[in-house]
Amino acid sequence: MSQAVKPPSLWTNMRELPANVWHSLFRNPLPTDDLQRSSTSFTNFFLHIHPVKVNKNTLRPIYTMGLGLMSFFLFLILVVTGVLLMFYYVPSTTQAYDRMLDLRGTVAFGIFLRNMHRWSAHGMVGVVVLHMCRVFFTGSYKKPREFNWVIGVLLFLLTLFSSFTGYLLPWDQLAFWAITVGTSIAAYAPVVGKDIQFLMLGDATVGQEALLRFYVLHVAVLPVIVTLLVAIHFWRIRKDGGLSRPEETATPVAVSVKAVELSKNKTYGLQGFVRGPFTKIGNTPDNSVFAWPNLLIAELFVFILTLAAILTLSMMFNAPLEEPVNVMHPPNPAKAPWYFLGLQEMVSYSAFWGGVGIPTIFVLLLLGTPYLDRRTAGVGKWFARERLLANTIFMTFLIVNVVFVIIGTFFRGPNWEFVSPWK
Amino acid sequence: MKMAGNPKFAHNKDAAGEPGVNRRRMLAWFSGFGLFGSAILSAFSNLVFIKPRATYGQPQRFNIGKPEEFPSGTRMALDTRRVCVVREGDKVAAISTTCTHLGCIVSVADTGFACPCHGSRYDQDGNVTGGPAPKALPWYKVSLAPNGEIEIDKDTEVEPGSYLNV
Repeated sequence: MSQAVKPPSLWTNMRELPANVWHSLFRNPLPTDDLQRSSTSFTNFFLHIHPVKVNKNTLRPIYTMGLGLMSFFLFLILVVTGVLLMFYYVPSTTQAYDRMLDLRGTVAFGIFLRNMHRWSAHGMVGVVVLHMCRVFFTGSYKKPREFNWVIGVLLFLLTLFSSFTGYLLPWDQLAFWAITVGTSIAAYAPVVGKDIQFLMLGDATVGQEALLRFYVLHVAVLPVIVTLLVAIHFWRIRKDGGLSRPEETATPVAVSVKAVELSKNKTYGLQGFVRGPFTKIGNTPDNSVFAWPNLLIAELFVFILTLAAILTLSMMFNAPLEEPVNVMHPPNPAKAPWYFLGLQEMVSYSAFWGGVGIPTIFVLLLLGTPYLDRRTAGVGKWFARERLLANTIFMTFLIVNVVFVIIGTFFRGPNWEFVSPWK
Repeated sequence: MKMAGNPKFAHNKDAAGEPGVNRRRMLAWFSGFGLFGSAILSAFSNLVFIKPRATYGQPQRFNIGKPEEFPSGTRMALDTRRVCVVREGDKVAAISTTCTHLGCIVSVADTGFACPCHGSRYDQDGNVTGGPAPKALPWYKVSLAPNGEIEIDKDTEVEPGSYLNV
């Protein structure tokens, strides 16, 4: 051990304590030049998910509309408000509804948090669908992003299922009959349908066991799976070289180096091991900008926009709460949440095809999309002419479903009879 | 350790003449299969775990009272039990009031049964006469309990039109 360096005195330690703690937390000062911008992104856990530099195309609001980020932020709002609501909620058939009334009457911000949770859930379903449309219409599911599209479709289904499992928890009429209908639809699946229904309900009918099961799925199982898949989804975006973009028209300035050719003395680009050509510092393409601050400001903007929208909605509209469960008197008509009304409308024609057959075909088509449509043309452009066929098919499915949702919402009355909303 | 007595492995040597590499590979495969198999089995055991062996909701088999309480011509819907008791003369039957479409409770109407939610309609015997219902309302087994009360077993479906003589 060297005795040459004298350890600093206690006084010096105390004097430098705040600065030392600060520097142990943040490795870099606020960046002023490009090198510091790079190392700030590179050495921070939360910023590390971002590349050091992003293509300008990624930041075009009209290209992504921030929909993916919006879904993520809505998920964050749902997690935070959901955890807070867990402090007061009891998954018991005798208590759940009273706890809802408690939120309205005695808990500080109770109704507000419930509103935020409910509207974020509805918003997330909508935004996730829109995000999927964006990715489809810009052809962004194509190589090398095929598997990320598959994860995205799974996340879409999990979003729907999370919302559905949350629906039962207030234990009001809306909840009870929506779950009765929903699990009955599941029972139409061939061979395993009845078993799936029994596993979901934990009993022959919707009751205490079902409430507990849906609660566990809603607050533990599904959020964990969603979190894991979201992490993979984001990680893959990095590994696939960022968001999709149109083919560069000008010759890229990036120096193309095969990974195997790198020698030990080679300097690696700070952009890291993204697929495709490596980018060397000082030799970067002109159409990329530093993630700090450009990308971060864009993200902050989307976050504030999302939060503001949810806060405004939650102040203006209260989440619905109907009569407490009455097993004897189903409401007429008993309607599912709006995003399942297309399904319910189809079910009113044929229980198997509307509830199981067509949705299964639709999901399989969605999952298979990148493996069925493998032409590389038209990536990164909205409604590219090269993708006319694929876009038309997708648009048709979309419009048909939207029409069914509208019919189910406004044109169906008691006994599911056709009614006119204008009279 | 040598794989004694196993000619297949005894004669297999890699380029360096080292015996036992294939044995190692085989062991690796076995371990792999073992681990993978255990994972699959434990996944199934989860399914077994979440499938309840006992349920605490409504009993599926219950007594509804003496036959005298249901005079001839009775069509009484026991909503909590989700069953409609039918008596014609000396014959008693129990028809489900759970809609075969999506599980709503059907109400008893003059013409039979009608679902208030999705518009399915059934005749007096539970046969579908309209709406999206895919099949007729099931009939449940009715018997006389030792204490003389009518017992309905919702776990056992019987042919429509089969009555119990009391």
